[in-house]
Amino acid sequence: MSTLIVIDQPPYGSWEGREALDMAFSLAAFDQPVSLLFCGAGVNWLRQGQDAARVQQKSVERNLAAAPIFGVEALLADGQACLRYGLAATDLIEQASITDFGPELTGRFDHVAFAG
Amino acid sequence: MTDRSREPTKTPAPAGVFTLVITGAPYSSQAPQTALHFAKAVLAANHQIDRVFLYGDGVHLASNLTAPPSDELNLSDAWARFLSDQDIPGVACIASALRRGLVNEAEMKRYDLPAANLREPFEIAGLGEWVSSTASESRVVYFHKGN
Repeated sequence: MSTLIVIDQPPYGSWEGREALDMAFSLAAFDQPVSLLFCGAGVNWLRQGQDAARVQQKSVERNLAAAPIFGVEALLADGQACLRYGLAATDLIEQASITDFGPELTGRFDHVAFAG
Repeated sequence: MTDRSREPTKTPAPAGVFTLVITGAPYSSQAPQTALHFAKAVLAANHQIDRVFLYGDGVHLASNLTAPPSDELNLSDAWARFLSDQDIPGVACIASALRRGLVNEAEMKRYDLPAANLREPFEIAGLGEWVSSTASESRVVYFHKGN
């Protein structure tokens, strides 16, 4: 059973994205195929050079960079959302790839779950 | 990532087994009440529910300290009675629960906290419970807070 977890929340505005990331890591820990898709304001999760210290939070950038090591198959960024937020491929962490978010993508997975 | 786009779409949950995941909190979202209505409809249609998993803000549903006005539905109590009557496991994610001050006796002792507030029959467990449902034939239905 393959799962796509969709994060459409910005990284430091709510805890929903972090808890969705925990879901992805948990699936991977149990050897279940899982990928993450970032859309809407969620594409900011993939931005390089984040500094969350001033809001007393841990940067999500390091967690995401480690995701492939822990078995998350792909970190996908919705191309339309990247355009909206002025993010080119070179602005994203190197593990991310830009894709089109639509039925062709979601149809490749048995489950699609949204964060919050 | 495996390309599964050419595989035929199978109907999930051939045996009619559902897992409910509630992430919206009671009284700040409609998620728990909508989920309860859905759960009753599932059983009325002779389908099954293998577990109800509380995640994120949804863990507040498992508190035994809720005391809404007497003319309002006590959602925690309504859910607890439903789960007990139907013998369906209700599981609150431990990481979500600990962050939000929802603990059982064991976690109270482990973290040296002054009280425990987990309502029976809810239990506290890890995300593995949710993974187990996701990896099974169950149809997993999410109840979020919405926008």
